[in-house]
Amino acid sequence: MVGEMKAVVRILKDTFSFNDLPISERIAFAAFLVFVFFFPWIVHTAYARAVMIRFLLFAMYGLGWNLIGGYGGQVDLGQAKNVGFGAFATVLMISWWGIPFWITVPVGIIVAVAESFAIAYPMFRLRGHYFAIATLCVALVWQQLFLFWDWTGGARGVELSIRSTPNFTYMQFGAMGYHYFIFALFMAEFLFMNWFRKSKMSYELQAVRDNEDAAASLGINVTWTKVKTYLITAAMGAVGGSFYAVYHLYVDPRCVMQLDLSILIAMTAMVGGAGSVWGPIIGAAMLIPLDMYLGALLGGMGFYGIDFIIYALIIMVIAAREPRGIWGIIERARRRGHVLRG
Amino acid sequence: MFLEVKNLYKEFGGVVANAGVSFGLEKGEIIGLIGPNGAGKTTLFNCIAGYYKPTSGKVFFKDKDITGWPAHRTSRAGIGRTFQIIRMMERLTVEENVMVGAFCRISDREGARRNAQEILELVNLKEKANAYPTELPIATQKRIELARALAIEPELLTLDEIASGLNPLETIQIIDVLRRIHKEKNLTLLLTEHVMEFIMRISERIIVMSAGRKIAEGSPEEVARKEEVIKAYLGEKYAKGK
Repeated sequence: MVGEMKAVVRILKDTFSFNDLPISERIAFAAFLVFVFFFPWIVHTAYARAVMIRFLLFAMYGLGWNLIGGYGGQVDLGQAKNVGFGAFATVLMISWWGIPFWITVPVGIIVAVAESFAIAYPMFRLRGHYFAIATLCVALVWQQLFLFWDWTGGARGVELSIRSTPNFTYMQFGAMGYHYFIFALFMAEFLFMNWFRKSKMSYELQAVRDNEDAAASLGINVTWTKVKTYLITAAMGAVGGSFYAVYHLYVDPRCVMQLDLSILIAMTAMVGGAGSVWGPIIGAAMLIPLDMYLGALLGGMGFYGIDFIIYALIIMVIAAREPRGIWGIIERARRRGHVLRG
Repeated sequence: MFLEVKNLYKEFGGVVANAGVSFGLEKGEIIGLIGPNGAGKTTLFNCIAGYYKPTSGKVFFKDKDITGWPAHRTSRAGIGRTFQIIRMMERLTVEENVMVGAFCRISDREGARRNAQEILELVNLKEKANAYPTELPIATQKRIELARALAIEPELLTLDEIASGLNPLETIQIIDVLRRIHKEKNLTLLLTEHVMEFIMRISERIIVMSAGRKIAEGSPEEVARKEEVIKAYLGEKYAKGK
């Protein structure tokens, strides 16, 4: 009993404590939180607020992907299917039966986790590029099925009826409400990651990523470690999908199960720094405004697709200079400074 | 018997790497396993530690049948190992590498860190705790492997060519470290090696393998005089000349 209490206290401490991080990181993160929290009061344009919401959503997607892709080193290019499962669970259950949002979220999670579990063991017989291709194919198969089936709305998609007053049962609000809604979800996932990075599982997962034989010699069940991580990543993707459904009030397989989405999710974590807790946030902060402003601006001037060229350039520079992304560059610079001073 | 290997066969599509090997270890012994290249030493290690499934034969550890157990189970049961070709977690620091091992027995990070630091001190690596393994020389990486294997609190430690590639001074140092941990941790050691100076100095008993079979067994002095052993290493001609 005392032992269990201690374990609970430790989990809570690991979740909410940032004491092991350098003071500079803590200050930067606190400033970031204050900025995001007051953002809708400082900035009033609807587009900028939408960019902020999309940023938080992708930071959240990135945090989830970072588990299997960053800490686990298994490049998953099918996360969009889990977003789709979450989004469809929410949108279908609300439109068919009027079930409250908060009940549809766990259903979406269960669907995503169950599907991922069903495919996980054969998938993890593959490694590296082959694993990446397999995840991509599975996601495409689901997208085609959802387009083909009638009960999912097919290519027409499913709409939710708009409610005139703010509504906590179906989570419909004005821009301000959605901002704090996604901010709360983001914080929940971020705190989970803060616990995770200190956990035994995180060390085991990184050991598996770096060397499977060595990991097995240290008592780590390599396959099970990958599988359970894959399931957590799936669950986190589904939560993002559920939010997407009530935010856009419309879901179709081309917006939530698209290959572009899978790639953008993976890039969010990889550009920012896969396998670090800040990476997905940095990545989303770079890619989402780039996507939404530059794409719109240059596209308006007739340079269609130039944002993709810029994406590609960023990826090439990062892949060539520092595969651990922007966070890797920061860490390396800091380490060098440390060595010089020490 | 602490570890017992019974009539172990391992074939790779017609190539017989181990052809009916049997031997036993008592708790606390230091046993050397020697033999020319391709004698089947590493294969035997991999069969014991669960990296290969033996084609036939049995492995018992503390009277329990562990034949065919996967590697993560044998290591949890108390068989630690190092690798002939170094396997570092290169994106983790030295301390974190050892912590991963410590997590085998403990689930909180601070506890794992304390254990890791103790072990790093034991193998004289304390000041390298925050370095990354690939920045360090081979001899140091071998000691990291040793520290990592010790962190799982094994009862039997199997060391695959821990002294190969080391210079004479480094060899003497690793012998000191091994003797110290053998005494302090009450370990049983099973070593393979090419470096004869190393294996002859540290082992209490030696098993000689050639072409997948055990050809001799005994104290270092006995083994060195045996005709079969000289034949396996130097060829027919030298054995006859003796």
